[in-house]
Amino acid sequence: MLRSYLPALVFLLLGGVVGLAFALLNHRLGPHRRVAHKQDPYECGLPSEVRRGFRFGISFYLVAMLFILFDIEVIFLYPVAVRVRAFGAFALYETIVFIVLLAVAFVYVWRRGALEWR
Amino acid sequence: MSVALAAARLHGPHIDWGGLSPILALLGGAVVVLLVGLAPRREVRRLVASGLALVAFAAALGCTIWQWDASKSIVSGALRVDDLALAVNLILVSAGAATVLLSWRARASGEAGHGEFYALVLTSTAGMSVLVAAQNTVSLFLGIELLSIPLYVLCATELHRSPSLESGLKYLVIGSVGSATLLYGLAMIYGATGSTDFDAIASAIASGGLASDPLLLTGIALVVVGLAFKSSVAPFHQWTPDVYEGAPTPITTFMAVATKAAALGIFLRFFDVALVSAQVSWAPALAALATISIVVGNVGALGQSSLKRLLAYSAVAQAGYLLAGVVVSTRAGARATVFYLAVYLLMNLAAFAVVVARERETGLGDDIAAVEGLGASRPWLAWPMTIAMLSLAGIPATAGFVGKLFLIQASADGGYTWLGVVIVVGSMVSLAYYLRVVAAMWMRPGPSLGATEAASPYPAIAGGSPEADPDAIGTSTPAAPPAGDGGPGAGAREGFQPEVVGLALAAGAATVFFGIVPSPLVDLARAAGNSLLGLF
Repeated sequence: MLRSYLPALVFLLLGGVVGLAFALLNHRLGPHRRVAHKQDPYECGLPSEVRRGFRFGISFYLVAMLFILFDIEVIFLYPVAVRVRAFGAFALYETIVFIVLLAVAFVYVWRRGALEWR
Repeated sequence: MSVALAAARLHGPHIDWGGLSPILALLGGAVVVLLVGLAPRREVRRLVASGLALVAFAAALGCTIWQWDASKSIVSGALRVDDLALAVNLILVSAGAATVLLSWRARASGEAGHGEFYALVLTSTAGMSVLVAAQNTVSLFLGIELLSIPLYVLCATELHRSPSLESGLKYLVIGSVGSATLLYGLAMIYGATGSTDFDAIASAIASGGLASDPLLLTGIALVVVGLAFKSSVAPFHQWTPDVYEGAPTPITTFMAVATKAAALGIFLRFFDVALVSAQVSWAPALAALATISIVVGNVGALGQSSLKRLLAYSAVAQAGYLLAGVVVSTRAGARATVFYLAVYLLMNLAAFAVVVARERETGLGDDIAAVEGLGASRPWLAWPMTIAMLSLAGIPATAGFVGKLFLIQASADGGYTWLGVVIVVGSMVSLAYYLRVVAAMWMRPGPSLGATEAASPYPAIAGGSPEADPDAIGTSTPAAPPAGDGGPGAGAREGFQPEVVGLALAAGAATVFFGIVPSPLVDLARAAGNSLLGLF
C-alpha cells in the first residue's frame, strides 16, 4: 500500500536535491554584483516602478512572442512523445514535419537578428 | 490495463495528399522562399526568391489541373475539392504568378526583403485557396485570416513611402473590423443551426424551417457585411480607393484580382450551398448591395485622376456585377460569376501591368497623365490598356462583353431582370471614365517635358536598352518619338521591362481571344457551376 507512494517520495527527494544543488552551485560559482536592481522584486523584465511617460523597447514584444512560439511547441510534443508507439510511424513523420517547420522559423528568426537585443 | 491500451494501435487520419497538393505546394514554396531570403548576396536573394516563387505557383497550377474533375471532401470535411474550388484556384494561382512578375523590379520587394515579400504572396494565395475550398465555417474564417494578414503586411512593404504604410494600417484596421463582423455572424449561424458544416447548416435550415429565424438572419447579415468588406462591395468599400492607391502597385493588382476571386468564390459556396434554403431572405438584400455597389463604384470613378483610384472604384462596380451571379443562386449564376472572375483577372492584369510599367518609366506615379500620348510613343503598352478598358466597360469582341452577357442572362433567368438592367446602365455610365483613359492614350500628346527631356539620362528607351528583347515587341518599336519618351530624369528608373510588357500583352491578347472564342472559359465555368450540387 505505502509502496505505491515510493515514486512520489523519490520524485520529491530528487526535486529537492537537484534544486538545492543548482542553487548552491550558482551561489558558489556565479559572479556576484551588488547593484540596486538586485533588490527589485523581479530581477528581469520591466522595472517595477515606472513614470508615466515610460516607453519600453519593442524587443520585449519580439522576445516574448518568440518565447511563446517556441515554448508552445513543447506542449504539442509531449502528448505525441507519450503515445508515439501507439500511433507508429505516422506520428513520427508528423512530428518531424512539425519540428522541421519550427526549425525553419528558428533559423529565419536567428539569421534575421531577431534574437539580438537592441 | 494501461499496457493493453498502449499496445492497441491507433490509426492516424487518412490524408488525401492529392486534394491538398495545391495548398501544400504554395505553403512549401513559402517556406523555401523564406529561407532563400536569408542568402547573403542581394542579387541571389532577388533572383532565386522570385524564381522559386514562380516555381511554387507553377507547381500549384499543375496540382490544380491534376486534381481537375475531383469531387471530394478532405481534412474531415473541412475543405471541399471540387471544380468550383479548382477553377477559382486556377485564377488565384495565375494572379499570384503575375504578381511575382510585376514585383520583379518593384521597390517594395527590395525594401521588405525579397524572401519575405514573395513568401507573403505565396502564403496569402494559400489562404485564398483554403477559403474557396472551405466547407466549414471554421475553415472559412481560417482562410480569410490567412489571406488577410499577409496582405496587411504586403500593403506596407514600401517602408520609406508613407502612403504605403498608411494603406497597410488602414487595411489592417478595416480588415480586422470586417473579420470580426464575419466571425460574429458565423457564431450566430452556428447558434441558430447547431453546426459549422455547410451541408449540415443547409439541411438544418431546410428541415427546421429556419429560413426566417431572426438569429439566423442576423448572422447572415453580419456574414454579408464581413465578406462585403473583403470583396469591396459598397457601402463597405470606403477603404478600397485609399488602400489601392497607397499599396505598391503589384500588390494592388494582387488584391484587386485575387482577393476578389477568393471572396466571390466563398460567396458562391457559402450562400449557394449552406444558405441556399434561405435564399428568399437574403437574395433581395444582396441584390440591393449589388445595385448600390454598381452605382457607387461607377459614379465614384468618374472624377478620379489617379489610375489606381479609378481602377479601385471600377473594382467596386465590378464587385456589384459579380454579386448578381450569387443573388440568383442558380447554376447559371454560379457559372456567370466564375466566368466573369476569370475575365476580370485578364483585363485587370492588362490594365495594372501598364500602370506598373508607366509608373516606373515616367515618375508621374499612377496619375492619368502618365499614360497620355501612350498610343504614339508605346503602342504595345497602349493596346493592352485600351483592350482592358473596353473590356471592363463591356464592349463586344472583348471577354468583358461575354462575361456581362452571361451575368445579365443569369439575372434575367433567375427572376432578377431589374438587376440585369442595372448592370447595363452601370456599364453605360462606366464608359465615361474608361474611355477617358483611352482618349488620354490616343488623342493627347505626351506630357510636355521641356528641358528635362534633353537632359534625360535614359534616352531611346525602347531600342537602346540592353535588356530589350529583339522579339516581335522590339521590331514594332517606333524610333524614339520626340515627346513622351524617357520622362523626367529623376523619376525614370527603369527602361524596357520585358516581363511587365509581356504580361500586359498576353493578358490583353487573352481578353480579345476569349471575347471571340469564349468556349474554353465557358467549359471551365460550367464545370465550376455544376459542382454546386444543391442548385439547378
